[in-house]
Amino acid sequence: MPGGAVPLAWRNLVADKWRLLRSSAGIAFAVLLMLVQLGFERAFFDASLTQVRQLDGDLFVMNASKYCFGTRDPFAYRELDAIRRVSGIASTAPLYADWQKFFWTSPVDDKPHLVRVFAFDPAAPPVFLLPAIADQQALLETDNAVLVDSRSRRFLGMENPPAETKLNDQTVHVVGSFALGPDFMSDGSVVMSDRLFTKLLPGNRAPVGALPIEAAVIRLRGGEDVSAAQQRLRAALPPALTIMTKPELVEFEREFQAKLSSAAPIFWLGTLVGFAVGTLISYQIIYSDLSDRLPQYATLKGIGYRSSYLIRSVLSQAALTGLAGYIPAWLLGLAVYRVIGDIALLPLRMSLQLTAISLALTLGMSLLAGILAVRRVIAADPAEIF
Amino acid sequence: MDMTIAPMAPAIRVRGLNFAYGEGSARHEALFDVSFDIPPGQLAVLTGPSGSGKTTLLTLLGGLRTLQEGLVEVLGRDLANLPASELVLARRDIGFIFQMHNLFDSLSAAENVRMALELGDAPVAEIRRAARQMLDRLGMADRADAKPRALSGGQRQRVAIARALANLPKLVLADEPTAALDRDATTNVLGLLKQMTIERGTAVLMVTHDHRIVDLADRLIHMVDGRIASDVTLDNAGRVREFLKTVEPFSALNPADLTGLAEMATLRHFEPGEVIIREGEQGEEMFLIAEGEVEVMRDDHEVARLQSGEFFGEGSVMSGEPRNATVIATEAMDAYVVRREEVAEAMKKSSRFREQLRRFFVRRH
Repeated sequence: MPGGAVPLAWRNLVADKWRLLRSSAGIAFAVLLMLVQLGFERAFFDASLTQVRQLDGDLFVMNASKYCFGTRDPFAYRELDAIRRVSGIASTAPLYADWQKFFWTSPVDDKPHLVRVFAFDPAAPPVFLLPAIADQQALLETDNAVLVDSRSRRFLGMENPPAETKLNDQTVHVVGSFALGPDFMSDGSVVMSDRLFTKLLPGNRAPVGALPIEAAVIRLRGGEDVSAAQQRLRAALPPALTIMTKPELVEFEREFQAKLSSAAPIFWLGTLVGFAVGTLISYQIIYSDLSDRLPQYATLKGIGYRSSYLIRSVLSQAALTGLAGYIPAWLLGLAVYRVIGDIALLPLRMSLQLTAISLALTLGMSLLAGILAVRRVIAADPAEIF
Repeated sequence: MDMTIAPMAPAIRVRGLNFAYGEGSARHEALFDVSFDIPPGQLAVLTGPSGSGKTTLLTLLGGLRTLQEGLVEVLGRDLANLPASELVLARRDIGFIFQMHNLFDSLSAAENVRMALELGDAPVAEIRRAARQMLDRLGMADRADAKPRALSGGQRQRVAIARALANLPKLVLADEPTAALDRDATTNVLGLLKQMTIERGTAVLMVTHDHRIVDLADRLIHMVDGRIASDVTLDNAGRVREFLKTVEPFSALNPADLTGLAEMATLRHFEPGEVIIREGEQGEEMFLIAEGEVEVMRDDHEVARLQSGEFFGEGSVMSGEPRNATVIATEAMDAYVVRREEVAEAMKKSSRFREQLRRFFVRRH
C-alpha cells in the first residue's frame, strides 16, 4: 500500500472527542499508577544509594560478612595498620557508623527518634564528598559538636536545628548542617567526631583506636591504578575483609535493595497491578470501539482487505490510545513527583529511563489489549453485511 | 495470477449450485441446482420474494461464503478451488454495493472511497483524484469532505456506491442499491452502471425491487424458493413488455398480445414543464410513465399527479373525444407512447383488456 494512505487508526481514535477523553482518562489513571510505583522504586534506590555515593574514596574496606552498607558489622581497628602498609595509598580514614543505636531528641516533639550516625577523625582528610561536611569538619573537634542533616524528615527538627539538644540522652551542640536526605530506613543523619562516637555509642568502653570501624575509606596516590591497588589490598588483608571500588560499593548496595530487600518486589507488584488495570481498561476501550465498528471492518474484509491489515490497524489504534493516555499521565506524573517528593523528601525524578520504561509498559498493555480484542475483528463475517 | 478473462467468457458462470444453512434437523436448503451465466457488459436484475435465496446467491458469487456444492466461476476464477488468500484478492475485482452502507464514521466521504482504491497500487495522488471523480460522478462532489454522520441516508448510500465503483470493477454485485435513493440519484446511479456495462463491459448483478431499473436491465432473473423461476433476456420490446406487465390493465393481456403492443410502443422523453397533452385537443396517443412525474390540470387547476407505472391519455384514445385535461411534465420524464390504433387492436384482441381499460377509465373519470 503506498504512503499517504488513509490513516484509519488515527481517524478512529479522534473521531469522537468525548470518547477519546474518557479513554485517555482511564488509561492515564493506570499509567499514573505505574509511574508512581516506578517513581517510588527509583526514589527508594536513589535514596538508599545516597549515603554510599557521597563517600569520598577510591577503595573501601568492609567486613565481608556485611550484607548491606546500612547494617552495623564493624571490623577490628588494627586492620588499618595492614591497610596503611600497602603501597600506593595516600590516606586511610576510618569511618564509624551506626543505624540502630542513636536517638536524637527532636526539638519538634521533644521525643527521642532513631537517626543514623557517621563519625570520623575531623583532623583526617574528608570521608564525605559533601562540601558542607568537609568545610565544617574542623568544628567537630570541639566537645560534643555535631553536624545535622538539614534534609532530614521534618519531625526531627534538623531543618532549623536548635543550638543544642540530646543524642542518646547526652547534650550535643549543633555546630552546622549539611544536606544528605533520608532514605526508607533512616529519617535523618548526624555527623560527629570519632571521639564523640565512642562516647555516645551505647555500651561502648573502647576508646578511639580500639573501637571497631565500619569501613576504611582509602584514597590512592595520584596515578595509582585502582584495580592493582585493590589486588594488593586483597593480598595483604584477611579474607574476612572485602575491598570494593566506589562503583562496586554502589552496585553492592543496589543489589541488596533490588534482590534482598522486600521493598523492590512491593513496588514491582504495584507496577504490575497498574499494568493489569491498564490492560483491562484498554481492552474495554478497544473492544467497545471495535464492536461499534464491526460492520465497517467486515465490509473492509468483504471488499478485499486482508486480516493482516485489520490487525495492523487495530494494533495501531491500540498503541495510539495508549499514547493518548500516556501523555497526560506523564505530565500529571511530573506534578505528583514534585508534590510527593517535597512532602516525603524523596528524590522522585522523571528520568529518561523512567519515561522509557513507563512508555514501554503503556504500549505493552495497550498492544496486549489490542491483541485480545482483535480476534473480534478477525472473526467478523463479511457475508453478514449483505 | 492472470487477471484477464477470455473474450466472451462469462463474468459469472454458475452450474448446479446448491447451498444449505445449518445441519441435521436444522438444515435449511437455500439454493437448489442454480445454473446461469452473466456475460460481460450485461446488467442483470435478480428479483424474488424475501427468502428466495437472492442474497445467499450474491454472497456465494462474491466469495463471501464457502461453497458447498456446484461450480461458481467469477471473472474466470473457480472460487471453490481458490485458497483463502487468493479469494481475498479475487474480491478486489468485484464492486460490492451492500444494502447497509457501512461507512466509517471516522472518515470523510472521500476517505471512505479511498479505502477501496488503496487496495490497488495506484499513486496517492491518483487515488485521491479517482475518489473525487467518482463522488463527483454521483453528485457528491460538494460533500466529499463531509463525515457520514453529516450526510443523508441517500448521500451515504451514494458514497458506498462510489466506494464500490471507484476501482471500475469488472463485476458489480449489488443488493438493493437504490433503496435509499431519491429519483434523481437513482437515475444517476443507474446511468453510471449502464455506462460501465456499455463502455467497460462491466457485468452487473443486482438484487432489487425497484421496477424503474427494469427499463435499463438487460435481463431479469426471478428466484422463488431457492430456484430460478424465470430468466428473461430483454431487448427493447422485452423491457416494455416487462414494464407493461406491471401496469393495470395491461397485465390482463396474454403474453402474445402484450408482446405485440410492446413492439409498437416507443419511448419518448419530455423535459420539465413540457406540455404533453393539452385539454381540448384531439388525442391520438396514450402514455405510460416509465420514469418521472407529471401533473394533470383541468381548467388551470391541478387535479392529480401521476408517477412511474401510471398512465394517461387513454380516454381520448378510447372514445375519440378531445382531451379532457392538460398534462405537464414536472420533471425530466420518459414515457412509453402507444398509438390509438395499437390500443384499438389490443382491445379487439382481448375482451378482458377492453373491459379492464373501460372499467379503469370509468373509475378515473
